[in-house]
Formats: sequence, C-alpha cells, structure tokens
Amino acid sequence: MTGQSIVLAADVPFPPSVEDFYLPSILPWDAHDSYWVTKITVLLWLAVAVLIVYFLVSYRKPQLVPTKRQWIAESIYGFVRNNISIEMIGPRGVQFAPYLTTLFCFILLMNFFGIVPFLQISPNSHIAFPAILAVISYVMFIYIGSRHHGGFLKYMRFALVPPAPWFILPLLIPIEFFSTFLVRPFSLAVRLFANMFAGHMLLLVFTLGGFAMISANAWFIPFSIISWVLTIALTFLEFLVICLQAYVFTVLTASYVQGAIADEH
Amino acid sequence: MTGQKPPNEPRGEDGPPPPDTGMGMTAVSYLLGGMLVWGGIGWLVDHWVGTRGIFAGIGAVVGIGGGVYLIVRRLGA
Repeated sequence: MTGQSIVLAADVPFPPSVEDFYLPSILPWDAHDSYWVTKITVLLWLAVAVLIVYFLVSYRKPQLVPTKRQWIAESIYGFVRNNISIEMIGPRGVQFAPYLTTLFCFILLMNFFGIVPFLQISPNSHIAFPAILAVISYVMFIYIGSRHHGGFLKYMRFALVPPAPWFILPLLIPIEFFSTFLVRPFSLAVRLFANMFAGHMLLLVFTLGGFAMISANAWFIPFSIISWVLTIALTFLEFLVICLQAYVFTVLTASYVQGAIADEH
Repeated sequence: MTGQKPPNEPRGEDGPPPPDTGMGMTAVSYLLGGMLVWGGIGWLVDHWVGTRGIFAGIGAVVGIGGGVYLIVRRLGA
C-alpha cells in the first residue's frame, strides 16, 4: 500500500491529474481494471474498524471517574450532543445525538486520513462516499419529517407550501422544492467531496512541483524547498478544513432534521 | 463534557425553537434557488419561443423576488 505512494524523484508526473485519485488495485496487485480493493477501500474499512474498536474499548468498563480514553470518547460524544444536536434541534436533539456523533467521527477520521503520513488520501475525495452520506441524511430527514407530520404527503405539504396567499404559491413552490429537495443532498455531498479533493490536489501540486522543479534545473532547488515548506504549512491548513467540513456536514444534517420536525409558525 | 447534563428541559416537548438552526444557509439557498429555478424556466421559455434571453432575465428577477418573499415568510419574525 505504501509502496505505491512513494514516487521517485526521477520521473515525477507533473502536473497531477484526476488519475492520481484512482490508485492501482491492491488485490489483485497493480491491476488497473479492478477497483474493489484499493487504498481507498482499505482506508474506508480502517476508518470503520478504528471507530468501532475505539468506542467499544473506551467504554468497555465505564468508570465514574473516567480514564483518559473514556474521557476523550465522552468528550467527543458530549460535544456533538450538546453543541450540535441540542444546539440545533433543541431538547429532542438528544435522540439524534448517537447518529450525529457517528457521522461526525466517521467523516472526521476519513478526512483526517488525507494528512496522515503514508496514507495521505481521504476516501472522501471520491464523491461516492460523501454522496452516500448525503443520501442517508436526505432519506433520514424526509422520513423523520413524514413521521412527525403524520405521513409523507402531509410532510410534503408542510415543506412545500409556505404560508402565503394562493396566487403566489405557484411561484414559491418550485423554489421550495428546489432548495429543500434538490439543493440539500447535492450541496452536502459536493461540499465535502470538493474540499477533500481540492485539499489533496493542492498538496500534490506543491509536493510534486518541488520534485518537478528540481529535476528541471538545479538552480530551482531553493524554490523546491520553499514549495515543500509550503506543503507543510498547507497540511496544517488542511487540518483546519478537515475538522471544519466534518463539523459542517454534521451541523447541516442536524439543521435539516430540525427543519423537518419544526411546527408551523 | 458528558459530565455536563444536557439542558434541563423535558425531552420530546416543544420548547422555544433553538436560537440558530442554520437560517443563514436556508436564506442563501432560497435566494439562489429562486434565481436558478425561475431563471431556468425562463431560459427554457426562451428556447421555446426563440427569444435571446429576455425570459431568463425576467425569470431570474421574479425568482429572486420569490426567494426574498420566502425568506420573509419562513424566517422572518
């Protein structure tokens, strides 16, 4: 896995392209037509496994005075429960806290793989993963809305028909439909995907650019070094983006759920 | 932080709505949505009638008006 990501300075492919996101298959080794077991899918399984094991182990024997591990796990849950669920949804947010915490941790870890040395790519830089997460949020808020309002059609009526005089409704209903049922899943998925994609691409450009300049002309060595120093700086920036996007995705999911269970006002 | 109790209201009750529930995003999506939907419909009308963009323009203006109206009705006090 790591062997595939080490590039030799001699023939650096520059500029990086979308092809760099499609890593060769691991099983069968180096096949280019099979995408079932690649670094991306391995990282996905790793993320799932790490989260399950971590939360099981840290809550195996919960103590009244928590150990350090238990304290960290509880802090993460407490953060999502108090600062996202309850803050956004209100008192009933508590019942959505487990899902939102799972979502937050999963996205955070998946994103974080983007800057872990030797892993250095986030599965979320393939739109398939954010898209599935967005579909889950989408189905969830529609389902919750339907249950709360007593039926899918009643929920649709609540969501699509604003309190307005009848002659203006034909103007407003398409806007409501567009912004609630088309833009939401799309923007959730694309926002996360684009941030991770762009982050990976940016780091690739600066890293490979350093190699490309060195191999082009020995006089460019100082610029190469600047480029690599900037890579490190950008990695920290990337860390910020990683946390922010995990937070934003969770907050928006919570906000959609809140919109679905709100009552007329 | 789990040590902190969640706020002491009973669960499942409809208290006052929480202060910030992503209103900013909703407002932006109404504005853009209004412009895109009715601008898009206007664009289709343009193609159908054979004009060169007048209906798309009218649609975008009408749509953004609708978006503003929605924001006032849905998010306004």
